[in-house]
Amino acid sequence: VLDAARPHYGGTLRIETTDATAMRRVNALAYETLVAVDAAGGLRPALAASWQRDAAGSRWTFRLRRGVKLHDGATLQPSHVAAVLRAAHADWQVTSDADAIAIEPGRDAADLPWELADQANAIVIRPAAGASIGTGPFRVERVEAGLIALRAHEDYWDSRPFVDAIEVRTNRPPADQLSDLEAARADIVTMQPIDVRRVEQRQFRIEASRPIELFALVFEAQVATAASDSMRRTLAAAIDRGAIARVVLQGRAEAAAALLPQWVSGYAPIVLAMAGEPPSRATAAPPPAGRRTLALRVAPSDPAAQAVAQRIAVNARDAGFTITVQSPAGLGPRFDMRLLRVPMRGTTPAAALSDVMAGLGPRAVALAGRVAPPERGDPLETVLRTERALLERDVIVPIVHVPELYAVSPRVESWNGPAVLASGSWNLANAWLSAP
Amino acid sequence: MSLRNRLFALVSGVVVLTVVLVTWAVSSSARQSFATVDAQRSAALVAQFRREFANQGEQVAMRVDRAAQSDAAARVAAGVASSRDFAPYVNEAAALAAAQELDVLDLVAPDGTIVSSAEWPARFGYQLPWAAKTAATRSGGFLQPIELPDETALALVAVRALPAGARALHVAGGRRLDRKFLQSLVLPPGMRVLLYENLQPEVSGRHLIAAEDDPPEAAPLEPLIARVIQDRREARDAIEWPDGPETVDALPLAGPDGPVLGVLLVGSSGRELAALVRRIRWSGVGFGAVAIAFGFLLSFLVSARVTRPVEQLAGAARAVADGDWDVQVDNVRTTGEIKVLADAFDTMTRQLVDHRDRLVQAERVAAWRELARRLAHELKNPLFPLRITIDNLRRARTLSPAEFDEVFDESLTTLQTGLGNLNTVIGRFSDFAKMPAPEFAQVSINELVEQSVALFRAQLAAPGHPPVTVRLELDPAVGTIRADGEQVRRVVQNLLLNAIDAMPEGGELRIATARVNGVVRIDVADTGQGLGEEERSRLFTPYYTTKQHGTGLGLAIVQSVVTDHRGKIWVDSEPGRGATFHIELPA
Repeated sequence: VLDAARPHYGGTLRIETTDATAMRRVNALAYETLVAVDAAGGLRPALAASWQRDAAGSRWTFRLRRGVKLHDGATLQPSHVAAVLRAAHADWQVTSDADAIAIEPGRDAADLPWELADQANAIVIRPAAGASIGTGPFRVERVEAGLIALRAHEDYWDSRPFVDAIEVRTNRPPADQLSDLEAARADIVTMQPIDVRRVEQRQFRIEASRPIELFALVFEAQVATAASDSMRRTLAAAIDRGAIARVVLQGRAEAAAALLPQWVSGYAPIVLAMAGEPPSRATAAPPPAGRRTLALRVAPSDPAAQAVAQRIAVNARDAGFTITVQSPAGLGPRFDMRLLRVPMRGTTPAAALSDVMAGLGPRAVALAGRVAPPERGDPLETVLRTERALLERDVIVPIVHVPELYAVSPRVESWNGPAVLASGSWNLANAWLSAP
Repeated sequence: MSLRNRLFALVSGVVVLTVVLVTWAVSSSARQSFATVDAQRSAALVAQFRREFANQGEQVAMRVDRAAQSDAAARVAAGVASSRDFAPYVNEAAALAAAQELDVLDLVAPDGTIVSSAEWPARFGYQLPWAAKTAATRSGGFLQPIELPDETALALVAVRALPAGARALHVAGGRRLDRKFLQSLVLPPGMRVLLYENLQPEVSGRHLIAAEDDPPEAAPLEPLIARVIQDRREARDAIEWPDGPETVDALPLAGPDGPVLGVLLVGSSGRELAALVRRIRWSGVGFGAVAIAFGFLLSFLVSARVTRPVEQLAGAARAVADGDWDVQVDNVRTTGEIKVLADAFDTMTRQLVDHRDRLVQAERVAAWRELARRLAHELKNPLFPLRITIDNLRRARTLSPAEFDEVFDESLTTLQTGLGNLNTVIGRFSDFAKMPAPEFAQVSINELVEQSVALFRAQLAAPGHPPVTVRLELDPAVGTIRADGEQVRRVVQNLLLNAIDAMPEGGELRIATARVNGVVRIDVADTGQGLGEEERSRLFTPYYTTKQHGTGLGLAIVQSVVTDHRGKIWVDSEPGRGATFHIELPA
């Protein structure tokens, strides 16, 4: 038992992911932000040891941690941080002194620390020559096609990571990842909710973020007309979101009443009430006039989305619709709606909704109501109004919110929280590999 | 048609008819025999298929048994008994179905709710009432409509119950009756099986499933399918496909509640039979053709062998008819009646030649006699005055010189006249002997006739001449012909002279011309005493004459000229009714 609890140094942690944009997670290991989201979803100090807002509410002061070493051995200076933030936000007034920086965003910025927790505001020093350097527990050693190699930062301010290196393989098919995990060729792999039982039966640990992805049904132009309003509304009401979240996605998802999950916005019930229509199934509803046969397009590489789509087709059948689910690898026949899986990276409601709108695409947004995405720092009311406008015509129908799920080998142990945080970030500085 | 051809056609016809009849009889008999054998084979195959189908049902039941007895099913049953949360088991059916190679597998909670569905995973939570209903009543496989995401299909299923607390978890599994199922059936060559899924109100070919990639056209099968569904009984039809006939046995497949859910069509191809019959037929046709060809050859040889002596006899007969009486058929190689006939023919021709020779000899003798008689007659008449004159001269030696001179001069004149007559007679005979060959040129017959008649008009109009009326009936269409004008003129003049001489009491002389059937005809008719049969038969014989002073060469010359012109001359006459000479010359 003592051996199991005692961390081991050394070894290479092997991670596999389907995500082609895994670099975002990797960057979080190499480039830190002033403030970070902790395991509970709150904020925790990172490069900034503390922060405070002045009485007027227009100026934030972040006191930096002392003695933080960059990957090249140099010490991080407040001037470095101020320069990075000024480069990223031209409208900000950023000043620095010996151990702190002051930020005046020029607007009411009560959630500035949350904004600074966004990876977009990570402190990345870009020297005139050579690779970018940061302060994170790992430095990027090399990037190849399908492989990112990280090396432990020996002088990391929060003590050296336990593992010597991390190898991240990207774009691995889900089935291959689970096979690699079972064959001990990988230590952490991404997984789908539909694989929960398989993973659990094999005694692997499942670690998940909070729901940070949205499954949404988006109608195409030919069925987004006013004449099809009734049809879309009936179909949206027929979908048994609870069964999808509970059974199809094995309880790892939340039925979506709004585009943003409740933990991000806190207002999902309000959206529900404003829509005036419960998201429960409308099995007894008479079939609407107009189109009765619809084609639903799903990404061929996403088995979870395909399972959700099949269930939507079953529910729709009760409401008098025949839905054909198609997931062609290339060009396919004309379709009437898509089931999209949209990630949300933002740490504030406005940023998250912007992410969602970007993920849905300008065409879907235009069909839904031609609303502009909220600006950074917009108040919650504005975000609520925008989302309400997007959902008003049922051109965009939220289905469920799902987390990022990882299957973790029992070899991977960690102090100080799970390997995957609520934000989806990888907490690997305190992870080690138990002795084989 | 010649005898040989008739004989050849007859024998060939008999051969062809015989061959055709034999070929048809053999082909027909073979087809009936094969059809009987094929019907027996079809019945055996259908029985074999029934066994195979039943075997498939047992296998399905066995596999469902295994699935129900698996640890996974037991875990689900335990979980269902203890909790209403079926989510952990939603994918269990797929794994169980894959393990047991079943197309359809549903784990159904005691209340009929689908816990997990292999064929339609998204259908969890819905009701599957037939599983619990049939679990208690059906132990083996049975037919059941199965709902799939895109369609309703037929499946051969079995249901097993597992204890789940106080109630039961039902495991309902089976195999789809689809193309794969049909392909798994062990069928002998020449047999195929089709399945019609009777899941829609109307019979439609869209619901016809075939084991092969290219299903047949459904329309010819639809009446049979409809009949089986309506009658709920087996039926059989012979279907004519473009590539051959097929005997199709249709078996109703009933569901647990009795309705016909499907129709199994077991086709026994008649193509092999048809091919066999076709092969026999073509063999028959081939052999028949060879036999007919052989028959033709044989009939040709036989008819040639049979008819060759007859043809030789016919040729010999034609030669005899053409005047060649020396022909013999003694080289005919035959026996029997034809040999007797040939010998008789040879005897006949020999006798004919003998008779001819004798006749020629007799005629020659008669001709010489006639010639001698005519010569004697012709020479006798001029000689008589000569002899009298000479006698008178001899007597006149006693007269006075003046009287003698007068007698001498008269006698000399008479002698000269007599000698002139003799010379004339000799000249006529000489002319007949040296009749020249005709010199052909375009001659107008009508003109020639008119000129000839004009020569005689003065004579006919002379005083004291008996009255003779000349009537000309000249056809303007006669035109010209190629002939020797001088000789034809002599012919016409000779006939005119004869006609005038035939009417010493006067009468009517009619001369007519006409063009008939490619010949020019000249008729010279008188109203004289006419000719008897004996006269007619000898009329053209040289030196024969009915006149007091004729030489008998006139008509002989006429006939000679007409013959040299490849023409024809004949006479129509009866005693007391005049005579008409007819001449036909090629136009």
